[in-house]
Amino acid sequence: MTRAHRAPRRRIQLSLALLLALVAGCAPASPPAARTAASEARYFGDVTPPADDVLRFNLGAEPEIYDPSFAAGQPDGRVCRILFEGLTREDPQTLAPRPGQAYRWEVSPDGLTYTFHLRPGIRWSDGTPVTADDFRWSWLRVLKPENAARYSGLLAPIRNAVAYNQREIPDSNAVGIVARDDSTLIVTLGEPTAYFLYLTQFYTYLPVPRQAIARHGDRWTRPGNIVSNGAFTLRQWRQNNRFEFAKNPRYWDAAHVRLAGMVAYPIDDLNTSTNLYKAGVIDWNPSGYVPSQFIPYMRDYRDFRHGSYQGVYYYSINVTRPPLDNVWVRRALNLAVDRDAIANDLLKGSREPWGNMTPTGYPGYEHPPGYRYDPAKARECLAKAGYPDGRGFRKISILFNTSEDHRRIAEAIQAMWKNTLHIQVELTNQEWGSFMGAVTGLQYDVARRSWIGDYLDPNTFLSCWITGDGNNRSGWSSRRYDGLIRAAAREVDPARRFGILREAEALLLEDGPTLPVYHYSTNELVKPYVRGIYQTALDIHPLTYVWIDRDWRSREAAHGPAAAAGPERERVAGGPAGEAGAADRSR
Amino acid sequence: MVTFLVRRLLLMVPTLWAIATLAFFLVRGAPGGPFQSEKEIPASVKAQLMHKYGLDQPLHVQYLRFLSSAARLDFGPSYKFPSRQVREIIAEALPVSLELGGWALLLSIVVGVPIGIFAAVRQNTAGDFAAMGIALAGVSIPNFVLGPVLVLGFSLSLFLFPPALWEGPQSRVLPVVTLATAYVAYIARLTRAGMLEVLRQDFTRTARAKGLSENVVVFKHALKLGILPVVSYIGPAAARVMMGSIVVETIFSVPGMGRYLVNAAFNRDYTLVLGEVLFYAALLMALNLLVDVAYTWLDPRVELA
Repeated sequence: MTRAHRAPRRRIQLSLALLLALVAGCAPASPPAARTAASEARYFGDVTPPADDVLRFNLGAEPEIYDPSFAAGQPDGRVCRILFEGLTREDPQTLAPRPGQAYRWEVSPDGLTYTFHLRPGIRWSDGTPVTADDFRWSWLRVLKPENAARYSGLLAPIRNAVAYNQREIPDSNAVGIVARDDSTLIVTLGEPTAYFLYLTQFYTYLPVPRQAIARHGDRWTRPGNIVSNGAFTLRQWRQNNRFEFAKNPRYWDAAHVRLAGMVAYPIDDLNTSTNLYKAGVIDWNPSGYVPSQFIPYMRDYRDFRHGSYQGVYYYSINVTRPPLDNVWVRRALNLAVDRDAIANDLLKGSREPWGNMTPTGYPGYEHPPGYRYDPAKARECLAKAGYPDGRGFRKISILFNTSEDHRRIAEAIQAMWKNTLHIQVELTNQEWGSFMGAVTGLQYDVARRSWIGDYLDPNTFLSCWITGDGNNRSGWSSRRYDGLIRAAAREVDPARRFGILREAEALLLEDGPTLPVYHYSTNELVKPYVRGIYQTALDIHPLTYVWIDRDWRSREAAHGPAAAAGPERERVAGGPAGEAGAADRSR
Repeated sequence: MVTFLVRRLLLMVPTLWAIATLAFFLVRGAPGGPFQSEKEIPASVKAQLMHKYGLDQPLHVQYLRFLSSAARLDFGPSYKFPSRQVREIIAEALPVSLELGGWALLLSIVVGVPIGIFAAVRQNTAGDFAAMGIALAGVSIPNFVLGPVLVLGFSLSLFLFPPALWEGPQSRVLPVVTLATAYVAYIARLTRAGMLEVLRQDFTRTARAKGLSENVVVFKHALKLGILPVVSYIGPAAARVMMGSIVVETIFSVPGMGRYLVNAAFNRDYTLVLGEVLFYAALLMALNLLVDVAYTWLDPRVELA
């Protein structure tokens, strides 16, 4: 399991194929191997399945911490989801909540009380039973003020959770989490939360082993100490080098887990990751790790997948600084941006132009009209603001953190504003720490930002614009908007709730401090012999039931690649692929 | 000799103190802080984090606390990787950088010194020009170009070595060559210059006049002095190489020191930055001391007092 290259046999075969390709004078974008006469299937690199039932993949950056209660970044979450299982767990394709450690649950008619029934006989990897009190203890651990868990806010819907977390209530028994008996957990919410079952599968809600934490303290997550309840256990970890997971025989559904183990490499460089995929060292190069300039050339490969990703790249406008405090100025700036040109020309169609603040992918949610490029109307708005033809408009600055893509987009928008509105715009780039300091301290005019959803609901994009929210970072405040967001939180009827959120988004776009630019997409490479990894809107990939298909060629010959690879949604028709900048998501 | 060593070791203490002080205030003076993220951390949580790490104390208190813990070589946990101690991070990354850097340094001496000698004894011949031309190219090609080119050639086309990852002896080859190339070239140039100077000196002429063979003149008499510039270069070069190279580590996904050193600064990971800076400073001073000791052995005119 430790060899980097699996089989020398394959290397020879591959080098022959590649030498032929080189002799034929093929460019780098040419299919390197596996072009068989029988099928015209093209794959990026080596497609020989490994001899063992082990999935090897790029984890992304090195996780900061993989203790579920404190995990923050995407790589952290990936490790947590492999090792632990929550009350509910994501459907591998739709991410809808499915029974996990809880095999059934009831919700009271007012939407405030959730009663979870744990599966009989579930155990930690050390043999100790998993109890309802383990969940209660783990969630209180997240909320405990001294623990300073970064994502404790995700538990906010639970009654008194925020008050306890902020020391307003000292007694943890007042928090709405009760273990009625070993197998029944009763959770009381402060307000009906339509997406609560999505939250219970988020990694902050995962149970942690009390017994191991008592014994090993801060070092309980180390191999040898760690105890988990998911489909896999941690066998080895070397920092910046590798995670090795082994199948957990005590997992309740171990009979259906087909992988013997997994090896995850923390590789933060996009080119390195793609090289390793091409060489067949890793079987899955997840989204965010295909260099964006390769994406236009990758589309013809069958193992390349793209689809929508729940994230929006936008500019935030500091409304505390004149002339940006004028709503007509903000509308003018929005209308003067040609999003199609940025997405299709500048970024070669690798992203989707987007004029809304919430992304696609919420069944039943209808977007309010978003911004479209309209130079005439933009000039009109600027005149209404008192700056006809840009006269008297002070020079404004676009702030972005150092990155080639951010710079190119900022340059394009600078030119669009200059040409359409005749205003002066300068560019300021700062390294990450200074940039974050400036944005948080409102020391900017217009700043590049992005937002990635935590759960499948428009609320995750809209609630951060309420007055005083730590993620608002624009100085914008609207009493009507705050009221709408609060009303939506109290609304039990899903259709009415979406209606309220739609109104809020319309208000945000019309008056607000935001200038959406593009919609994120997922772009990933998955070897054809890997089954069970699907493209999902949150780029979350439950790996429990993944398997290595050594007969993939015959299966594909019989049914065609689409049938063998799984449902059609793996390839979203016509959806331009984009790249969630690794920088955005590893932070 | 002993007095010299003791004095130099004692002198390291104030130097390290000065570096620690400068680094402490520089990293604190940088805008931003360690607990920033694209997703805002709630104010109460942030306050709790600041409290947990003592960042809510007045700066001078933090400074004194930092000095006393640094004296005990305990820098506390990293802010970015809160479950790991700075000591642990260095202890795990250092052997990797030592291995990568050690091989690279060895390779650059073994290849660079003979090239330099060859060029010096054949000064202004075609061989000299060829050797120095190659050396110039080696110095000029940045490793972020050389690394990917080597990967393309040797991994993705010839399948001789894995394209990245630090697993197994084969994985060492490309990163070592990438890292060593610039050093090979530089050492070759230093050797040539040093040898040329020595070969012109009177004692070399005397040696030749005695009728010694050219080999004995070059390798026994001239080399010991001609290599002095290389020796003084190797001290800091070794320290640099052991602290890792962010470029080579990133291209080949090597779990060494370099990425931590650079990224810790970007992340405002105060404890990790200070731990790494002080470690680097101590390493650099120790190796320079070794170089000075080596001088006495190579050049009888040098006396340490």
